[in-house]
Amino acid sequence: MTASPPRLVREPQAPPAKSRPHLPWVAPGTVGDGIARGARTLLGRHAGVLDVVGLVLVVLLLLAAVVGPWIAPHDPYRADPTSSLLPPGREHLLGTDDAGRDVLSRLLVGARSTLLAAVGVVVASTFVGAVVAAVAASAPRWLDEAIMRVVDIFLAFPSIVLALGIAAALGPSLTSVVVAMVVAMWPATARLVRAVMRQTTSSQYVEAARLTGMSQRRLMSRHVLPNSFDSVYVQLGLDISGAIVLIAGLAFLGVGAAPPSADWGSMVAQGREYVTTAWWVALFPGLAITLAAVGFALLGDTLRVRLDPTVVRA
Amino acid sequence: MTRFVLRRVGLAALSVWGVATLVFFMTKLIPGDPARVAAGRTATAEQVAQARARLGLDRPFAEQYLHYLGGLVHGDLGWSASTKQPVASDLALVVPVTLQLVVVTMVLTVAVAVPLGTLAAVRHGRSADTVTRLVAILGGGVPVFWLALMLQWLLAAKLGWVPISGSSGFGHAPPVVTGATLVDSVLAGSPTDLADSAWHLVLPAVALSAPFMAVVVRNVRSALLGVLGTDYVAFAVSKGVGPWRLVRHHALPAAAGSTLAILGMQFGWMLGAAVLVESVFAMPGLGTYLQQAVVNQDTFAVLGGVLVTGAVFVLAGLVVDLVQMLIDPRVRASHLGGAA
Amino acid sequence: MSGVERCPLLRVRDLAVRVRGVDGPEIVHGVDLDVQVGERVALVGESGSGKSTVAKALVRLDPGVEVAGSVQFDDAELVGAPERTLRAVRGAGISMIFQDPMAALNPVRRIVDQVAEPLLIRGVGRREAARRAVEMLDRLGVPRAAERARSYPTEFSGGMRQRVVMAAALVGGPQLLVADEPTTALDVRVQEQVLDLVVQQSDELGLAVLFITHDLGIVAGLADRVAVMRHGRIVEDGPVDRVFLEPQHPYTRGLIGAVPRIDADPGRRLATVADSLVVAREAPPPAGTNRSPADRTQLDGGRS
Repeated sequence: MTASPPRLVREPQAPPAKSRPHLPWVAPGTVGDGIARGARTLLGRHAGVLDVVGLVLVVLLLLAAVVGPWIAPHDPYRADPTSSLLPPGREHLLGTDDAGRDVLSRLLVGARSTLLAAVGVVVASTFVGAVVAAVAASAPRWLDEAIMRVVDIFLAFPSIVLALGIAAALGPSLTSVVVAMVVAMWPATARLVRAVMRQTTSSQYVEAARLTGMSQRRLMSRHVLPNSFDSVYVQLGLDISGAIVLIAGLAFLGVGAAPPSADWGSMVAQGREYVTTAWWVALFPGLAITLAAVGFALLGDTLRVRLDPTVVRA
Repeated sequence: MTRFVLRRVGLAALSVWGVATLVFFMTKLIPGDPARVAAGRTATAEQVAQARARLGLDRPFAEQYLHYLGGLVHGDLGWSASTKQPVASDLALVVPVTLQLVVVTMVLTVAVAVPLGTLAAVRHGRSADTVTRLVAILGGGVPVFWLALMLQWLLAAKLGWVPISGSSGFGHAPPVVTGATLVDSVLAGSPTDLADSAWHLVLPAVALSAPFMAVVVRNVRSALLGVLGTDYVAFAVSKGVGPWRLVRHHALPAAAGSTLAILGMQFGWMLGAAVLVESVFAMPGLGTYLQQAVVNQDTFAVLGGVLVTGAVFVLAGLVVDLVQMLIDPRVRASHLGGAA
Repeated sequence: MSGVERCPLLRVRDLAVRVRGVDGPEIVHGVDLDVQVGERVALVGESGSGKSTVAKALVRLDPGVEVAGSVQFDDAELVGAPERTLRAVRGAGISMIFQDPMAALNPVRRIVDQVAEPLLIRGVGRREAARRAVEMLDRLGVPRAAERARSYPTEFSGGMRQRVVMAAALVGGPQLLVADEPTTALDVRVQEQVLDLVVQQSDELGLAVLFITHDLGIVAGLADRVAVMRHGRIVEDGPVDRVFLEPQHPYTRGLIGAVPRIDADPGRRLATVADSLVVAREAPPPAGTNRSPADRTQLDGGRS
């Protein structure tokens, strides 16, 4: 959906300023400046504030996923009725939930499962989608048509509804949620890859390469596949972002991780009963979901612009 | 033209058949014994066997499939284990509630996003672009259920501006005819009920529109930018056309097609997101029904809801295509050319 | 020409066009150009010479550039004039027709609405505007104009579309028509028809025409005067016969020499402009002058 074909736009604006060596708020020569420089190297010269924000958010999430359990100030699972629903304060930075568990600790521990589930779902669904597209592309015409019609039918369901149905059918567990989400998400990739492949095989440069006598295999490996993969991995960031939100939504509806585990979506669901009295229980997990999703979306967007040679930023 | 319409309608019917088939395979995927669920927890082996025969589960696969399709044609979606009612009659009560929410949200989205997107295109520059991008990404990243919850807390619980949940206030529920409170209020001829129902829709619609608003703003903006760079816009300027007429008479009509296509897809996504929003606001719609059914492991109710959602999505696509053909002579010309 | 002593309809003095921005390059430098009432002038140059930029700068069509100098039309100064004044001139005083008639018409609006637009925005009633639009289409040789005016541009051929574009340009009764490569996108036969039509209208309506073209061949029979542009400057300006018979500037000689001749020796290499410039080599053009802002297109992934 986001990989729209490049469009010719007459640019009436002035050419943008030259690349700025420093972020405006970072003093040169400090550690912050070093980080900013590193980020620039990774993100490209034209990276703006939003690009850096995306990278920082994703790095923070990765950090939490790796060291979260060690830096969590409290035991995320230990219920303590005496400290139930404490507001954010010195002892509990983000407050406690109804069972008296520390919200911050639960968020830190929950980062890993959120990240693993989202990345796992996206990798699996992208793989399935790409393989289906490749099979369709090399199959006889009627089979290709048939496969793509099936894909269209999958796409006729909003992904959360399809995932809900499948998760319900498989029974409530994190595994069934992951399976359901892969089922819900692969068709979009399949359609995208198939479209790119079709576009590439009928493009004039492939035609030209064919006329020079290039073999079918070489044609595939040099032109068609690289193009299709580009279109897939520029999507990855946005897909992960979408998967994080979708998993959280399913958990909120009560499908997925079983209650005691520190899952961000179910934490919001827990907090909804107390939202008028203890806003922090629902607020912070939701904020965490938002920041994680936004981080991946920004990073994906940055990489899309950076990696896709047909997108030129003025 | 008629030929195209017929072909498009035929295609939609085919898609609905595909949707139904997919749902049928989902019923076969389920672990456990639906006959056992239908007969109840305390049923004897004999009762389970009876239920199996009644549901046709003892017959061959192909026959079951045909039986299922035949049932669908007569509006038979099976029985809900939790409400003890036919799923179809349950759905007839809840679907209008959801459709009403989605339609109102759509109107709200268009009413806000089209002017904003236009402004973003006309004022296009580095800072305006950054704001648009940020809004689009935030809109896509905020979980709609959380946003709904936070709005409920802030606007309803803390500030008391809007009702906290439900579809109508005490004593203001119009007699149920269609299930959509706005329509029922009009049918009942009660302006106070209508106002009350609309009032109850404000918060859910605002929450539900957020992720879609951002997408529409961005699309309107990029479609307009594309159009504003064309020669026909330059030609219009050379005729002496001023900026507002330019946007209203030249750019917006040309950008309407792609925006409409986006809205068509969003209709389906909104149906999905409505599941979450309804659950927060305790609205008796399809989403709440689906969620209850999932929690109660009421398989036929879940699959019925999934089926209806898919079918509505297909129909929305059909409507968009037909409307597009009516308003865009390019589309019309290509179909006429194709049919000739 | 007889009108030299009269005050010209269009009087351009020292026109300079600069790309907007901190260090936007200047792409047109010190252009002087006069067009008398009813006169047909051709502005000739290769692509990138700045001729289209000049055309657009007359009525400030490109918001991406800054214009300096003076453009007087009908004794009113246009450079620095408020947008309102320019809007009043566009379409009613100076009209333009563009290179590609396919692209110049909005695909989702009816022909009649697009042709009548210059009248509608000037307060002419819908009915009257439509009547005059149809009349103009008819005058320009669109068959069954009343009926076809209700259709959309996709249903018209290239030549017909250029007639529609011309009708929209002429319906407001302008005194000057700026034709920016009006035939480049059309095939040769249709080109001729369209050009004949322009000349005919110019004669009948007393309409001045400024042709912008890279094609010396079409200039000879149509224009009274030729101005040759190169690297954003006018290098030669004079009556068409004089410029063709005794070109003063080596670049003009090159342009004339580069027109392929059907009676030339088939074995000979075609002449290029560079051949004539070997003798009088000029200083290289300043950086950034060889692209007009309209050519600066940007590949965009939907974000820009």
